[in-house]
Formats: sequence, structure tokens, C-alpha cells
Amino acid sequence: MDIVTPGQVAARGRSRRHRRSPGTARIGEALLWLGPALILILGVVIYPAITLVATSFNRYSIIGLRLGPAGFQNYLNFLTSPDLGQVVWNTVVWVALVVALTILISLALAQFLSKEFFGRRFVRWAVIVPWASALVISSQLFRLMFDYYHGIINQLLTSVGIIHTPIDWLGDSRYIMPSMIAVGVFVSIPFTAYLFVAGLNAIPTDVYEAARIDGSSAWSTYRLITLPLLRPAILIGVVLNMIYVFNSFPINWILNGSNPGFGNDTLITYMYKLAFKSAQHDVGESAAAGIFNVLIILIAVGIYLRFVNWRQGDKA
Amino acid sequence: MKKYLRWGAIAAAATVTSLLLASCGASAPTGTSSKSVKSIKVVIAQYSKDQTPKFWNAFKATYEKQTGITLNLQIIDWNNIDQQSSTMVQSGDVPDILNENAYATYAANGLLYNSDQVLPAATKADIIPAFVKSGTYKGKFYGMPDLSSARALFYNTGLFSKAGITAAPTTWDEFVADAKKVTALGGGNVGYAQPLGPEEAQAEFAIWLFNNGGDFKANGQWTLNSPANVATLKFMKSLSVDDHVTQNNPGHTNRTDGAFSLFEQGKAGMVVGFSPLQGALDTQFKGVKYAIAPMPSGNAAPAQTYGVTDYLMSFKKAGNEAAVKAFYKLYYSPSEINTWIKAEGFLPVTTSGLKLFSSNPALKVYLDTLPNIHLTPTDDPEWDKIALTIKQNIGLAVGKTGDPQKFLDDLQAQAVAGK
Repeated sequence: MDIVTPGQVAARGRSRRHRRSPGTARIGEALLWLGPALILILGVVIYPAITLVATSFNRYSIIGLRLGPAGFQNYLNFLTSPDLGQVVWNTVVWVALVVALTILISLALAQFLSKEFFGRRFVRWAVIVPWASALVISSQLFRLMFDYYHGIINQLLTSVGIIHTPIDWLGDSRYIMPSMIAVGVFVSIPFTAYLFVAGLNAIPTDVYEAARIDGSSAWSTYRLITLPLLRPAILIGVVLNMIYVFNSFPINWILNGSNPGFGNDTLITYMYKLAFKSAQHDVGESAAAGIFNVLIILIAVGIYLRFVNWRQGDKA
Repeated sequence: MKKYLRWGAIAAAATVTSLLLASCGASAPTGTSSKSVKSIKVVIAQYSKDQTPKFWNAFKATYEKQTGITLNLQIIDWNNIDQQSSTMVQSGDVPDILNENAYATYAANGLLYNSDQVLPAATKADIIPAFVKSGTYKGKFYGMPDLSSARALFYNTGLFSKAGITAAPTTWDEFVADAKKVTALGGGNVGYAQPLGPEEAQAEFAIWLFNNGGDFKANGQWTLNSPANVATLKFMKSLSVDDHVTQNNPGHTNRTDGAFSLFEQGKAGMVVGFSPLQGALDTQFKGVKYAIAPMPSGNAAPAQTYGVTDYLMSFKKAGNEAAVKAFYKLYYSPSEINTWIKAEGFLPVTTSGLKLFSSNPALKVYLDTLPNIHLTPTDDPEWDKIALTIKQNIGLAVGKTGDPQKFLDDLQAQAVAGK
């Protein structure tokens, strides 16, 4: 049999070219093209990562002077710090609720935005605005809105008669986390909703036609056709939001800025406070915390993907 | 599988490189090369957006003209200067001059010049002795004061007269009674705006405990949980929890955007303030009628003025001694230092400045007490950590379920253990 697959043709072509041009020149040429990207990656990804690891194994005075090697002491200090349990719990609540609420609301919103209606263009713009403004500015605005004395939220709720005395949204421990989560969801929705709008647009209309002919109800069409076909978009939405929300700094930093202690911190703000605000004021311990943070988010995403794959395999 | 191998290789490379880097990390810059520097790096904290850059750019021009040495000026926001200076030290790229609110750890780590090396004797003699004392670590003067501020009780005379109060309170009992009267006016008015959030809580605590006969240190020993201090913190807690004369949730209220803003809105009867607040009230919030009085005293303790100074410290670097000396000489010349202090609305740190500013009646209440000013123990490196703990945690101690005694016992234990 003399059937040649396209792959073999390509391979043959490659090897022929390979023989013609010496390998050294090719590497030089490749480096020339890859150079800028490699330098960028080395500078902004690899070097800081290396510095982080190096810092975590050294002992520093509170002004940042290296005093000597620390072994694993920074890791031990971090893992045994009394506030860690609360901080981890806060992080879990923060990430889980923000991501879950964002996904649910965005699914509904995307369904709405993909329909034709009067003023759709305006609504689409309105949804994307929170994404366009810097997180620090949004958070600062929410801080003003949540203010106990002058905030618009308390004024609105009291004037409508829902509450009679103002609520200390950002100072009362019962309300701090819910307030932060509300802001977190608000700023995460635009990206996620648009991801789902794109996903919905990619679903071919003939599938829906077939479902309609077969007499499927609106809900079962959504459950059996839209959701499974939207699965890749949902997957990406969850993973990216998990990472964004976990690493989010400005919302928690600004909304929680006037509260004492570490009772409302997530791992990210806790890491910053360890380095620059707490009595430890220790960049070494903070670097150790940073390495844990990277590991934790990698593991969390890994677990999620594993879980999702397992369900898919089960169905197939 | 290949992917894992690749990540493994990167991780291995990263580990090796990090070990290499770790072995040659930042070290204290030393050396006494005779070669003089051609430029110095000066890092200044931004006290105000307008005045700080204006003064320091003019200073830079004068300095460069006088010495021929380039002055690389970097002005950093107060919220970030701690982080940035720490990063500079960590990466071995220390400035020649750094403006910060603490110096003792830098001195203890052996990074700084002392006054014998870089400060002209006449300049040192001009600095008010209380500030020389607070800038002295282990017998050497490292923390050169740049400016100072003193705190006093601001009270809203409009609210006071509405509540039928004729004079500022002089004792804690009077203070509580007056605060109750103002709170009773209703309409969202609070008797006392008490900032015990993480921004600047150690200052609020200090001024109250100094005026109750307490202190952080006595005879070289930490006295953080002394009976006077515990009584003070219990009193501070009772203001909100029992007497309800403060704004909502003082332990979660910062100074600038919390307590000060309430006073500026005319909603607070009293607040502990300093001259920049006075400046804001006189220019932006002219509707608020106010007066300034010494702090009321608890337990018949003698009146104390709590003061704060920041520092201009200089780092030992090869060949920069002469340039640093010239910097101090110029900074402490009356035409420079007093221009800046006046523009920023702060108080002088030199005897000559004291004389110059005494012509301003608005500053009289502070200036009279300046020579006897009571500062926090900034000369002890341990204080740097104690202050951070107070800032971060005192708000929890004055909450409804807070325990002032336990907070101060823990603080004392932290200070004694030195960690």
C-alpha cells in the first residue's frame, strides 16, 4: 500500500528542510523571534517567582534587612499563626460565594442579553461598565456608599422604611463579608456574563429547532441543551473567576480597611498585612504565605477540573 | 506527562537559582571609600499633595546649586512609604536620606549615620532637647527630626453652646458629662469622635494614657499593662460601650476618613486633633466653629501634651558622608526648615523655629507645651512592633466583647519577649 498521510508528508518536508539548514542558525533565528517574549517572561514571571522562593527562606528584620538564612522557620511561623484558620475560612467563603453567585447571575443575565429587545445595546453597555472602571475606584465608591453615617445605601433603606437604624455594613462583623461578597460579585459579573453571551451565540439554532419539534419544554431545553453546550464557557468562567477572586486585593483591602485585627482578611490581604502592617512586619513570612497562596489556588483549580472531568466521564 | 516533566524542570531550576540568589542577598551597605558621590537619593514622605513637592523641589535646586551634587528626589505617599522603604532595604538599594516615622530598627541594624558623623554641632544644639532624646538610640543621635505635631482637644463651640456647656472639660468626669450633653442634642450628633481603627490608633491611646499618669515605658522597662494604662483603656472602651457618647463602632473607625470627617461635618462635639485638622477647618470647613483646649486629665494627673515627630535619617554608603552633611546643614537652616513646616501646618523642632513661630497666636496652645512634649518611645526598636500591634488590634479590645486587660497583658508579654 502506498498511501501517504498528510502527516507523513509534513514530516518528510520538515526533515528535508532540517537537513538543508544547519541547526545552530535555526536556534539563533528562533531565539531572535522568541527573544522579546522570553525576556518578558523571565522578567515578570520567572524572576519574581525565584525572588519569592528565595525570600521565603531568609530571615528579615522589620525594615526589610536580610539577617540570614531562615530554613523553614518562615513557613512554620505562617502555618502556626493563630489567625490563619479564620483567614483560610474567610478565603473559602469569599471565593466560593463570589464565584457561585457570579456564575448563577451571569447565566441568567446572559440569557437575557442574548435576546432581542428594545434598548438591548444600552443594557449591554450598562453591564460592561463595572468592568471598565478600575477595581480600586469601584471599591472606594462602594466604601462611600456603605458608609454608616453618609452612605447612600443606609439612607435609601431607612427612607424606604426597610430598616430604622443604619447598618454598619463595613464595621459590623455580621455584614462585612456579605458586603464584600456583594461588591465582588458586582465586579465579576461583566466578564462572566459576556463570556456566557459568546457561549450562547455559538450554540447552533437548529439544535433548538429540533428540540422544539420534539416538544421539549423551555426548562428541559435549557437544562438538556443550553447548559451542556454552554459547558466549555462555564468551565472557563469558573476557573478564571476562581483565580481572579482568590487573588483579588483592592475590594477586601479597601472595604475592610478600617477594621482591626485579621478577622475579615483573605489569604491575599493577610499576606500583605504580614509583610507591611502586622507586628511581624516580616517579608520572609509573607513570602512563605505567598508560596502557599500559589499552591492553594493551583490545587483548588486542579480539584475543580478533576471533579468536572469525572462527571463528564460518568455521563459519556 | 510531558507537561509535568517540564514544570518539574522549571521548579528545579527555580530552586537552584533561588539558593544562589539567597546566598548573595541584600547586605548592609558599608565601606568608607574616599571617593565622594556625585548624586544622592532622597526619599521624602508626602505630607500634602501641594506643599511637599513644592518645597522639596525648591530645596533640591538650592542644594544642587550650593554643592554641585545631584539630588534625586522621590516623594512617596505615607500609605506606601513603609512598604517602599522596606523594599529598598531588602533589595540593597537604600536611599541616602529617608523620611520616615520610625528610625530605631534602622539604627539597631547598623545602617545609619549618627549625628557625630553628619550633623554640624551648631545644628544639633539648636534642636529641641525632647526631640534629640527621642532620636537617640543607645547614646547616639540617629533620628534627626524633620517636623513635629502636637495633639490637643478640639471642641465644636456651636454644639457646646447649644448643649449649654460654657468651657472645655478639664477632667474625665467633665469630659463624659459634656459628651453626654452633646450626644443628647440628637440629630446624629456625637459627643466624642474616637478613632481606634488601624490607621493611627496608637496616637489616640497614647494621648489618653499620658493624661492619666500612664506611659509605655518607665525607667527603661515596658509598662504597657500598668494599672494606669489598663484604667485608661477601660475608660476608652466605656465611652462607646457604656456611655454611648462616641460615634458608632470606634474600634472600626479610622482617623482621617472617620473621626476627623465627623468633626469637619460639625457632627462631633470633640475630637483629638492637630494643626493640619486646624488648617482644614480654617480653609475648607469654615462653617464649623471650634476652639482648642488642653486634654482633660484623668485621676488628677498632670496635663501632658502628646507629640509626634518624623525623622530624616541618613544611610551609611561609600563616599556620601559629605553630601549628607551638606543636606542636613541646608535643611536645618531656618529659611528652609521653617518654610516647609509653616507651609504644611506643622510645628517646629528647633529652638530657633520655636521663637519664629511664637508670633502666630493660633499655634500658641501647642508651642507653650512643645519643650515638655511627651513622645512615644520611638528610640526603642521594639516600639516599632508594639505600635503596629496597637494599631492593628486595639480596635478589638474596645469592642463590646473586647478585653482591655488581656490586650495590654498580651502586649506587655510581646514587648518583654521581644518578638
